[in-house]
Amino acid sequence: MNPQLIMDGLIAGAMIGLGAIGITLTYSILRFANFAHGEMISWGAYLALATSGLLGSLSGALLKPIGPFSFGWSLPLAVLAAVALTAGLALLVDALLFGPLRKRRSAVIIMVMASFGASLALRSLLEFIFTSKPVYFSKALQIALPLGGGLRATPDQLLSLAVAAILVVAIHILLTRTAIGRSMRAVSENQQLAGVAGIDARKVIRTVWMLGAGLACIAGVMAGLLVQIRPYMGFDLLLPLFAAAILGGIGSVPGAMLAGLIVGLAEALGVQLIGAEWRAAVAFMILVFVLLLRPQGLFGRAE
Amino acid sequence: MTGPQPSALSTRALVAGYEPDLPIVRGVDFSIRSGELVIVLGPNGAGKSTFVKAIAGLVPIHSGATMLGGFDITAVPTHEKIRHGLAFVPQTENIFATMSIHDNLLLAANVLPKEKRSRRVADLYAMFPDLAARPSLRAGQLSGGQRQMLAVARALIVEPSVLILDEPSAGLSPKIVQEVFAQLKAINDTGVTIILVEQNVKAALAIADRAAILVEGQLRHEGPAATLAEDPIVAELYLGARPAGKAATP
Amino acid sequence: MSVELVAYVAFFLTMALTYAVMCLGLNVQWGQTGLFNVGVAGFVAIGAYVSALLTTPDAPDRFGGFGLPILVGWLGAALATGLASFLVGWLTIRLRADYLAIATFGVAVTVQLVALNLQSITGGPFGIGFIPRPFANLAGDPLAFSLLNLGVLIVVVALLYLALEHLLRSPWGRVLRAIREDETAALALGKNATRFRLQAFAIGGAIMGLAGATQAHFVGFIAPDNYVPLLTFQVWAMLIVGGSGNNRGAILGAILVWGIWAASAGAIASLFPPDQQARAAALRIVLIGIGLCAILLLRPRGILGEERIVSRHLARLKPARRTASNPTSPEP
Ligand SMILES: Nc1ncnc2c1ncn2[C@@H]1O[C@H](COP(=O)(O)OP(=O)(O)OP(=O)(O)O)[C@@H](O)[C@H]1O
Ligand SMILES: [Mg+2]
Repeated sequence: MNPQLIMDGLIAGAMIGLGAIGITLTYSILRFANFAHGEMISWGAYLALATSGLLGSLSGALLKPIGPFSFGWSLPLAVLAAVALTAGLALLVDALLFGPLRKRRSAVIIMVMASFGASLALRSLLEFIFTSKPVYFSKALQIALPLGGGLRATPDQLLSLAVAAILVVAIHILLTRTAIGRSMRAVSENQQLAGVAGIDARKVIRTVWMLGAGLACIAGVMAGLLVQIRPYMGFDLLLPLFAAAILGGIGSVPGAMLAGLIVGLAEALGVQLIGAEWRAAVAFMILVFVLLLRPQGLFGRAE
Repeated sequence: MTGPQPSALSTRALVAGYEPDLPIVRGVDFSIRSGELVIVLGPNGAGKSTFVKAIAGLVPIHSGATMLGGFDITAVPTHEKIRHGLAFVPQTENIFATMSIHDNLLLAANVLPKEKRSRRVADLYAMFPDLAARPSLRAGQLSGGQRQMLAVARALIVEPSVLILDEPSAGLSPKIVQEVFAQLKAINDTGVTIILVEQNVKAALAIADRAAILVEGQLRHEGPAATLAEDPIVAELYLGARPAGKAATP
Repeated sequence: MSVELVAYVAFFLTMALTYAVMCLGLNVQWGQTGLFNVGVAGFVAIGAYVSALLTTPDAPDRFGGFGLPILVGWLGAALATGLASFLVGWLTIRLRADYLAIATFGVAVTVQLVALNLQSITGGPFGIGFIPRPFANLAGDPLAFSLLNLGVLIVVVALLYLALEHLLRSPWGRVLRAIREDETAALALGKNATRFRLQAFAIGGAIMGLAGATQAHFVGFIAPDNYVPLLTFQVWAMLIVGGSGNNRGAILGAILVWGIWAASAGAIASLFPPDQQARAAALRIVLIGIGLCAILLLRPRGILGEERIVSRHLARLKPARRTASNPTSPEP
């Protein structure tokens, strides 16, 4: 087996994992499958691209590549802004769409449908603004470094893996060790009881949107850095995201990340065995097998 | 109803229900004095849970008002009510089963000022040594009686002035019921006003000061616990077991 | 009226009616049973490809063309799609409500992928052409040809409508409604409730497959691009606009939304210079996306709303137990 496959799989898996954490969190708190989550990934990438371009035009020095990486300081700075903007976008969509539906106690499935509508509108809006032509953060080509054992990776790829790992640990600590994390778990288990215990569900919901959108933005930037930026980039990731969220067990952050890596590795394997054009079918197969064999996922409890 | 002490909690012409056109609680005037322990009785489906849930903010109030210590809390959001000193223990699912005992308590302590939190958690452990034994245990693994203890501990952590419990004895063995009720009596003796919805009439009347009987969403009878316990007509009418599902449909 | 105009109107209505068939299928799944299908395009595609394979003349560069009669193609399309729906439903209906949505979404993605890549069967990105059209021998006379095609679709829609209305009022339809509206009834039925839902999902899927087939034969040509998520979305918009749960609404919504869609094409295109037409197309999708969300927010029951065919017994029971099939947790 080609060891490079493992590296490709891990990198794709890290992006899928970050996105899946957002899906699993919004799912466990808001209780619906959010089909617009992929759009947070695409919007995050484009917002970072636009901000980075703006910063670069202000000061050319910001474009000079940092050390071994392909990008200059404009990108990390832009990511900070893009995370905030993507979180704001998620809050805006919630305020305009999901919030009113929640207030009306709409059925879960109405929320799913609304998210489907929002997904279409947001994606096409990107296409309208930026056209469907792929764009890149940086045109600089990177040499993959040998890591031993036949494994090679570019500095960008290694950085992405490290960022993903740090984020997962941070989110896990946030959920298990902090007050807001406990509140999130409480609302996810029983929103009425959480209210009685003094937890403001609206605040928790806002936090979850911001967290999910922020992670999606970072996943989008990673995808943009390592592959390319397209309006459909997030939508095409949606099936792997759902597969990972369900495989990991809804509500489980470590589960989502682990499952993301599994999906990423399986995709890489599938690409090698049956061809790149079948990549998307791998996630579907995983989804089918999970629903068939262990619908509660790896870390979920049977209902 | 004019006692020497001011009323700790009262409702005025309270109408509440899950749907706008279907009131379940239909005009209840209820009042409890500070430090009192009142039990709310009534047949299945009478609207007892709905009544207390409406006070706690979990069921929409159509009209009327709830007052807490002279302060109108009708429109106060559910999660703010605990900050005003009103604690509620629901009938079912009254703990976070997937979280540890300790996390359940920390969560509840979160409404307190930072410096008080760990002290109150320690206080509650002292009060319920069963819980202190294994704080990292997943709450869902507790026994029925211990679950009720945790639910009560969770509610007490903020030192509420009024504690409302919905059938805490449901599903417990008689011995455990006695323990739970003894605990509640002890809490009441420290000055906490308690409203106790109960089906376990005999045991509840033994610790109560007063009883109120709710039938079809309306207050049908009120009186000191002692006289009520001896009133055979009341006992036969309302305290005996009734077939479930006699909904209070108008 | 000029001949061209009549022919155009006939063409427009025929196309709209193929969507009406999809809508009727979706209505069985969603309107009648409350099952959410995010992969309508995938099921329509299965029907279109199956019928195309069965009826096209033998093609040297791919599997099939069996040259069978059109009706056989339609029947095969309905059966194959019904079976596919059954399998998806069997896998997910017993699970959480939105797992079905996710699974159907996966079906649509995968079907699209197969259509695109399994060149030896589906013709790949270029699709399948020379799909026999009904009354092809009359193609020389556009008026008669388009009117006869419209007639075929009217007959299909009318038959389907009558069959579905009959089904709705049958004991089967009443049970379905009871399951959807009354959780106690659903719980009491237990495993049987799952079976009823599964049957409804398969029937709805079969109708979508039939819709895909009729559309393919009316257009004469299919390609993977016809079955993108936008199609799913359009069918949803049609059903919601018309009023889910209402078969007449489904048909009306299809004609209305297809009309708006067709008219907006010209209007928006004229706002943009020729080199910006891709943008214009994207903007049109943005607008329909916002439109659907707005309808969900402002008029969730659609134009016609749902027909009330609840039995009197249920109608009396209902108010006491309306836990709104699946309310999300309340906003405090
Ligand atoms: N979530 C709900 N939505 C709609 N109606 C409800 C809901 N919960 C209870 N009801 C209805 O409200 C009425 C009163 O129920 P409630 O639970 O308040 O009775 P209760 O007196 O607490 O009975 P029990 O002794 O069985 O606990 C019943 O007719 C019941 O069907
Ligand atoms: Mg009750």
